[in-house]
Amino acid sequence: MRLLIVEDTPELHQQLRTSLTEAGFAVDGALDGEEALHLGETEPYDAVVLDLGLPRVDGLTVLRRWRAAERTMPVLILTARDSWSEKVEGLNAGADDYLAKPFAMGELVARLNALIRRSNGVARPELTFGDVRLDTATRGVSRAGQAVRLTALEYGLFSYLALHAGRPVSKTELTEHLYAQDFDRDSNTLEVIVARLRRKLGDGLIETVRGQGYRLQSPI
Amino acid sequence: MMRLRPALAGLWAMNSLTRRLVILTTLWVSLGLGMIAWFVVRTDEQQIQSTADARLASLLDAVVAATSFDPATGPVLTRPVADPEFERPLSGHYWQLTGPGGIQVTSRSLWDSRLGPPLREPAEGVRARSMQGPRGEDLRVLERDVQIDSRFGRVPISVQVAFAREGTADEIADLRSNVILAFALLGTGLVAVVALLVIWGLRPLRRTQQELAEVRQGRRLHIDVVAPIEIAPLVTEIEALIEQNRATVERARNHVGNLAHALKTPIAVLRNALEAGDMAGARVQSATLERLVQHHLRRARAGALAGSAGAESAPLAVAEALGTALRRLTAARGIQIRVAGEAEARVRADSQDLTEMLGNLMENACKYGSGRVAVRVSLVNAGRIAILVEDDGPGLAEGDDGAVLLRGVRLDEAKPGSGLGLAIVGDLASLYDGTLTLERSTRLGGLAARLELPGRLASEKYQGPD
Repeated sequence: MRLLIVEDTPELHQQLRTSLTEAGFAVDGALDGEEALHLGETEPYDAVVLDLGLPRVDGLTVLRRWRAAERTMPVLILTARDSWSEKVEGLNAGADDYLAKPFAMGELVARLNALIRRSNGVARPELTFGDVRLDTATRGVSRAGQAVRLTALEYGLFSYLALHAGRPVSKTELTEHLYAQDFDRDSNTLEVIVARLRRKLGDGLIETVRGQGYRLQSPI
Repeated sequence: MMRLRPALAGLWAMNSLTRRLVILTTLWVSLGLGMIAWFVVRTDEQQIQSTADARLASLLDAVVAATSFDPATGPVLTRPVADPEFERPLSGHYWQLTGPGGIQVTSRSLWDSRLGPPLREPAEGVRARSMQGPRGEDLRVLERDVQIDSRFGRVPISVQVAFAREGTADEIADLRSNVILAFALLGTGLVAVVALLVIWGLRPLRRTQQELAEVRQGRRLHIDVVAPIEIAPLVTEIEALIEQNRATVERARNHVGNLAHALKTPIAVLRNALEAGDMAGARVQSATLERLVQHHLRRARAGALAGSAGAESAPLAVAEALGTALRRLTAARGIQIRVAGEAEARVRADSQDLTEMLGNLMENACKYGSGRVAVRVSLVNAGRIAILVEDDGPGLAEGDDGAVLLRGVRLDEAKPGSGLGLAIVGDLASLYDGTLTLERSTRLGGLAARLELPGRLASEKYQGPD
């Protein structure tokens, strides 16, 4: 899952980057509104963490312009301003969630997971594919009741396929959503990851659709 | 003179009192003095004219008295008239006698030219006429027909005496230019005096402004102008404003100081906890810090309220905006939020504060309810608006309502999320002379938070004491 973090305080920006990368997200960062505007309009993010007080272009303007350009990715506003009138303004400008500073990193990750899940039209946090269960809230995967340990990239690929289950997902799309902008993208590694996932979760789970990519059957 | 410079510069500024007064004075003075000058000149012209006429008339009388008739030559003057100008050729003073048969005798000054023939009508009295003289000059002529006794009986003779108008015209022109000059000087003087009066009159204002600027720059503590009674109240008000400002700054400084000191202890403890690797202790301290910050933010907000008196906001619109926002926030749970009631209702509260109060109440309802939230705005009685926020959650245990509010008020004992929101609502409501009561919802079965605030319907006037 690919995230954009827009935060101008360098320390917090770095903390967010580190923590969210550890949590398994592919993370891009923007330090000001202009950069955020550009990245949000050109890159396919699964969610955005947006600060409001930004240099150059303020956060609300960035959000409004994304929405005006029909960018629909879920946006979570992360700000120190926590009065209700500010929350209302942010949410009614098109934000999907609002978290006030100070915040706990765990809370942020949980909310981002829920936002991404909901934005893909999945109502419940748990998805079942045969004997494989995926809990998007805890980022846990189990097979036949046994917890399976996945690397960040493995989890990312599996959960992306899971949230888009039922349709083939191209390698390009997977690459765009699995790797951050500055990551050295090599689509061959996708095949390696899929092979590892098949080994861990069972052969029949991820289908290869010739010429189109990979597909996961809709959950039961 | 240096002092005058800004005042004079003010003359050219568009929006200047000095300029306005000077323009008005100039208009009034030039109009008034112009009329007086015109009147004076006219009166004097008539005066000069009639003086000249009187002289001419007396000369006519003298000529008539000296007129005689010599049968051999015709009309003659028996003695010279006492005006040497009649002897000087083309002097502009002339007389002419016309006897029967058109025989004419003239003054030497006419030389060999003649005045125009006399009019015979009307025969009685003196006729005043205008004619051209021998040099082409304008003449004022008096004529009279007389009967002179002679040996042949009474002979009719016409006597004409003429003065060139040049003399009187010169005199009048002199007079006119003198009068205009005098009045122009007077007018300029008046305008200048008015300008000086304004500048001098406004000097206390200018000095007040200078001192005010010095106060602002921190070079002075008070305005020390001995103000004239017209602007003394203004100066007093400004002084009071400065004093109030100073007090506000002082309070703010105290507040910031208090906050900084209050933050120091938990920071020290936090640092020690971190150094000792005591994460639980660190968490407790960071929660303390968070509460302190919340508390001071609320105090700052309440302090700012003093300035927002007279604000009015529409509770239904605020509740609807909050409903939209909360639906997004709680999208995962699909909570049904219904907002209804009196769209015309207005409460006497700042819109941000009303949003804060309703936001907390509605968020609570979403949090503790199990899927349904209803907000209703209604007019209680003249001058009071009620906003009822209901949910279908467990509600409150019997006799528990006071405690929820109280827990938040005693900030030190409040844990985040345990009634702090309601305490904020209660505090804000009482600042606006409103009340917050908690009861059981009759419609949804859960908690009903009832916020009552002074207000009215937009179509009505306030019916309160003021």
